[in-house]
Amino acid sequence: MSDHLSKQFDLELEHIRSRILQMGGLVERQLVAAIEAFSSGSLETMEQVIDSDSEVNAHEVGIDEECTLLIARRQPTARDLRLVMAVSRIVTDLERSGDKAAKIANMSRKLQRAGRQRIPRLSDIHHCGRLATDMLQGALDALARMDVDAAQQVIGADKALDEAFNAILRQLITYMLEDPRTITEALDIIWIAKAIERVGDHATNIAENVIYIVSGVDVRHTGAARKKAVEA
Amino acid sequence: MTGGGRWLASFLLTTVLPILAFAVLAWLSHGSAWAWALAALAFALVAGIRSRQLSMLSQWLESPDDSRDADADRGGGEVLAKLGRRLRDDARSRETVEARLRSFREAMDAVPDGLVIVDAAHRIHWGNRAASHHLGIRLPRDAGVIIEHLVRAPGFAEYLAASDAGVPFVLQSPAARTRVYTVRVLPLGERNKLLVSIDVTDARRVDSMRSTFVANVSHELRTPLTVVSGFLEHFVDDGVLDAEQRRQFARLMSDQTARMLTLVDDLLTLSRLEADDAPASEEDVDMADLLAQLLAEGQSLSDGRHRLEVNCQGPAVRGNRKELHSAFGNLVSNAIRYTPAGGSIRIEWSVGDGDGAGTFSVCDSGVGIAAEHLPRVTERFYRVDRGRSRETGGTGLGLAIVKHILLRHQASLAIESEVGHGSTFRVVFPSWRLQPAD
Repeated sequence: MSDHLSKQFDLELEHIRSRILQMGGLVERQLVAAIEAFSSGSLETMEQVIDSDSEVNAHEVGIDEECTLLIARRQPTARDLRLVMAVSRIVTDLERSGDKAAKIANMSRKLQRAGRQRIPRLSDIHHCGRLATDMLQGALDALARMDVDAAQQVIGADKALDEAFNAILRQLITYMLEDPRTITEALDIIWIAKAIERVGDHATNIAENVIYIVSGVDVRHTGAARKKAVEA
Repeated sequence: MTGGGRWLASFLLTTVLPILAFAVLAWLSHGSAWAWALAALAFALVAGIRSRQLSMLSQWLESPDDSRDADADRGGGEVLAKLGRRLRDDARSRETVEARLRSFREAMDAVPDGLVIVDAAHRIHWGNRAASHHLGIRLPRDAGVIIEHLVRAPGFAEYLAASDAGVPFVLQSPAARTRVYTVRVLPLGERNKLLVSIDVTDARRVDSMRSTFVANVSHELRTPLTVVSGFLEHFVDDGVLDAEQRRQFARLMSDQTARMLTLVDDLLTLSRLEADDAPASEEDVDMADLLAQLLAEGQSLSDGRHRLEVNCQGPAVRGNRKELHSAFGNLVSNAIRYTPAGGSIRIEWSVGDGDGAGTFSVCDSGVGIAAEHLPRVTERFYRVDRGRSRETGGTGLGLAIVKHILLRHQASLAIESEVGHGSTFRVVFPSWRLQPAD
C-alpha cells in the first residue's frame, strides 16, 4: 500500500483489511464445516455452524462502523477510497455467505432429524461445495494479495459451479419423477444446493471488488469481454 | 594515521615542494610579481593533472579493465591497481557469500517442516518450500503480505498476537483441507518471529487407527463375554435348572468361549507377524502337497455342500509352510463361508508365461463383494456384512493376517469380485521365489 504522511492512516487501512480477511476466514470455516456436516450427518457440527453465525454478524457491524469512521475522519481519496468502499461491499457479501452456511447447516439438521434417507447423500453436493469454498478462498486470497489475475480466475470459475448446480437439479428431478415420496427431501436438498451456488456468486462479487480496488474499473454486471479488457 | 601521514608526505613532495621551488627561483631571478604568477601557474598545472587522474579513475570505475592498469600514468596507476584488487576481492567474497546463502536456502527448502520469518507487523519476510505447501503461501511473491491475511483460520491471528509458544496452534491447511498441521511461533531476534509448521496428518491418522483398533477388539471380546456372563448369572441365581437346559446353556457358553479363543489366537498371530518382517525359516514348499491338504480341509468345512476342484500346475515355492498354509487356508475357508450351498470353488496354482510369476488363486461362485468395499477388506475388523461374518464364525482378522503373511513373502494380493457372481482372490509370488524348472 502507498505511504501516507500519517502513519496512523496506513495502520487504520491495514486494520480494516485485516478485519475483513479475518471475517472471511470465519465464513470459510463455517462453509467447509456446513458442507462436511451435510455429508457426515454430524448434528454437533451443524449446531456449531448455526451458532457461529452471530459471530459473523458482529464482525459485519464492527467493520461497517470502522469504514464509516475512517471516511469521516480521513476523507480518503483514490485507491484508499476504493478500498474502503469495496470493503464495505465485501462485508455484505461475506455476511450473506455466512448466512448461506448457516442455512446449509439448518437444512442438513432438518433432513437428519426427520431421518429422511430416500435419496443418497449426493456426492455432487460435496463437489459443488468444494467448488464454492475454493472460489471463496480464491477471492479472499486475491484480496490479501491484491491480485487481479487470481480475481479473474475466481470470476471464471463461477460457470463451473453453475453447471454443477444444474446437474444436481436434473438428478433430483429424476428422483422426484421416479418416486413422489422423495419430493420433500429433494426440495430440502435443492435449498442446500441453491445456497452453495449463491456462495459462488458472493465470491464472484468479492473478486470483482478486488479488481475495482486495484484497477479502479467497476466490472460488475459486465460481460466476460469487458473483464478481459481490464486484464489487458 | 599512517595513511594520513603518507598522504601528507606525498602531497608535500609532489605538489607543495615544486611550487615552492619554482616560486623561490622566480623570485630570485625576476621579483615577487613573477613569483606569484608562476606559483599560481604551477598550482593550476598540478590541479589539472590531479583532476585528469580523477576523471580517469572515474572512467575506469565505470568499466574497469586490466589493460588500462598498464598504461595508466605513474600517480594514478598505483591507486587504480589497488582499487582493482579491492574490487576483485569484493566480488570474490560476494560470490562466496552468495554461494553459502544459496546452499543455505537449498538446505532450508529440504527441511520437511515449514519455516516462515515474519516481522513485528507479521509481514512475511522469507519462508521455505514446505511452508508454501503447509500454509498456502507463494514465495517470493507473497513477501511483504501480512501472514494472517493468507492464513485466515479463526484463532490464528490471536495465537500469533499472543505469541505464547507453549501450545502449538492446530491448523487445517487452507491449501489442502484434508491435512492437519501444527504451527508454533518462536521469537526471532528483537522483533521478528519464526513460524514452524509440522505436518501431523499421519500421526493423527495412526492415533485414530490405534484407538479404533482397541475399540474394535474390546467390542469383539465383549459380545461373547456378555453371553457367557449372562448364563453364569442364570446358574448362580437359579439353582433349579433341569439337566437339558443346563446342557444347552453350557454348549452355548462353550461356543462363545471358542470364539474368544479364535479371536485371541488371530490377534496373537497378527502381532507376531507384525513383530518381524521375515518368516523365521524358509523351505521349498511342495505346492501339490499343500493344495491336497487345503482340499481335504475345505471338504471337511464344506461338508459336501460345495463342489471343490484343485488344479496344480507349478513348481514348489520358497517360503514358510506354516504361514503359507494359514494364508491359503484363510482364503479357502472364506470362499466356502461366502458361497451358498451348491456353489463351486476352484483352487489353482500356476506359473505365468511372461514374467514367470507364480499365481495361487481361489475362485468361488459366492455372494461377491461390492466394489466400494474392495479396497478395505484387508483392514482389521472391516466387514462387508457384520451379521453374516459372525454367524459363519469369522473374526474379522482373516484377510489382515493373509495380507501380512503375503507381505513377508513379497507376494501381492489381487481381488476381483462381482456381487452375486463370486470372487477371485489371486496371490502372486515373484518368480525368484519359485523353484526353477529342471
